[in-house]
Amino acid sequence: MTGTVGRLVSAELKLMTRDPLVLTFVFAFPIVTMLIIGGAFGTQPDRAFDFVNPAHWYVASYLTVVIAATGLVMLPVHLASYRERGVLRRFAAAGFPRWSFTIAQLITGLVTTLVACTLLLVVAAPVYGIPAMHAWWRVAAALALGAVAFVSIGVLLGSVLPTARSAQAVGLLLFFPSFLLGAGGPPPHVMGSVVREVAGPLPLTLLTNAVRQPWLGIAPATGSLVAIAVIAVVATALAARRTTL
Amino acid sequence: MSAADVVKVRGLRKVYGTRAVVDGLDLDVRAGEVVGLVGANGAGKTTTVECIQGLRRPDGGSLSVLGHNPVTEAARIRRLVGSQLQDSALPDRLRVAEALDLFGTSAASNGRGLLEQFGLAERRRSAFSSLSGGERQRLFLVLALLNQPRLVILDELTQGLDPAARRTVWASVRKLHESGTTVLLVTHELDEAEALCDRVVVMRSGRVIDTGTPAELVDRYARTAIVRFSLPDFPAVILDELRRLDGVRDVERTGSRVTVTGDRQIIAHVGAALVRRGTVPADFAVSIPDLEEAVLKLLAEAKAADESLRAANELVGGRR
Repeated sequence: MTGTVGRLVSAELKLMTRDPLVLTFVFAFPIVTMLIIGGAFGTQPDRAFDFVNPAHWYVASYLTVVIAATGLVMLPVHLASYRERGVLRRFAAAGFPRWSFTIAQLITGLVTTLVACTLLLVVAAPVYGIPAMHAWWRVAAALALGAVAFVSIGVLLGSVLPTARSAQAVGLLLFFPSFLLGAGGPPPHVMGSVVREVAGPLPLTLLTNAVRQPWLGIAPATGSLVAIAVIAVVATALAARRTTL
Repeated sequence: MSAADVVKVRGLRKVYGTRAVVDGLDLDVRAGEVVGLVGANGAGKTTTVECIQGLRRPDGGSLSVLGHNPVTEAARIRRLVGSQLQDSALPDRLRVAEALDLFGTSAASNGRGLLEQFGLAERRRSAFSSLSGGERQRLFLVLALLNQPRLVILDELTQGLDPAARRTVWASVRKLHESGTTVLLVTHELDEAEALCDRVVVMRSGRVIDTGTPAELVDRYARTAIVRFSLPDFPAVILDELRRLDGVRDVERTGSRVTVTGDRQIIAHVGAALVRRGTVPADFAVSIPDLEEAVLKLLAEAKAADESLRAANELVGGRR
């Protein structure tokens, strides 16, 4: 078992580093947009940002952008492309158990997320500084659960969507509204009430709240953390059930 | 199932929607044989081998592969079977050497040696997307053989290969045969089946319509031989003499060109008759039917029989 999954994970990680979509969308896009928007609102604490440094607000928020980019765009496109081109059939015929590919994708997605988040913090540190964590274990739990939830959503989408193009279309359609409303766009306090109502229950909004609020000492965000945990459990169960080679 | 049976299929049925793609198929493959599965597009060949590998769940019938049931023991079977699938690929950016690491198990043989054998040693660091069609097919063959399988399933093995690459791949299949490996070969290329297979199974509409060695099938369905030659100063009496020879069915003359059609024995009789007349044409040529002609005739006969049966059924249904 370890051998099969290990070989798949090793190959998939190498392939990720050669994939332009991963390099641009998961690694470069969050860093570049974080640098731009982090500088747009200055570094003075502001009411719109719950009286914290806006740059720190976005540094804390953009880790979830990495997670969403991995789950909503990278994995669905990757998996749908494999299905479309017969790569999954080849794995199946070579004796890779059905579950091994799912496990390998979950591990690959989590490792990619971890590396991309680390890189984002490394870049942010000299530019805006890394804000102190007020409740590190809540932040860590939210990031871990959020990564599992979005990676599972990605595996699920990849198992449902028939082609790489459809996966890209659906993935981008899910990603950009979530990104603008729930993580990388304007803070909720400056949104209109209707937009805020729409943004509130989005998985990425819940995840961003569960990470940002305890990190910056705004609130514990227990409700958001519980919601993300539920999404993680449901999405993982569905992905495990749905994924076939 | 006898110990020598590697594959035993009885009454296999697979339905897509309302269409039975495989409909009551029986198939035996014995140890060490190279068996060819041939037939027109949509005959159910690929579906049959996918069921044998446990990639598709059959809707009826029984299967045994190396003593295991592909429905309940698919994972075990896939470890014992090497396969080269139609319409499949590897990740674009996966390199040749990495593919060997990925697909090689603890049973893997000398991957480097296989790469050399198939002319891929210098492409070890090349990405799959940069390989030509022929190189990809050869890589798939390397992967199929990598784990020293007891049964190798090759689906459209030489599709897209140039003649030289085809010959290289054929030589490799012959080596496999000599080493005692059992091979199930799915192909449209009947010259390939004739060159490589001990036995050929002909499928139509999801069923086996006949099976035999290539020579047996040719003997059964394509016994005709054609002899052609030119005689510039041609005495008409020779034509009558040729028509009277044993086995001759037709003699046709166009200018100085003569075409004699009949059973295979006419080759000797026509040659002897010409020698008796003291003439041996320089362009004396013989066409002997091959497996392709035999299979095409068999498929045409099967189609005609199906249509007659359908017409009869419609007639009976109409009367009722």
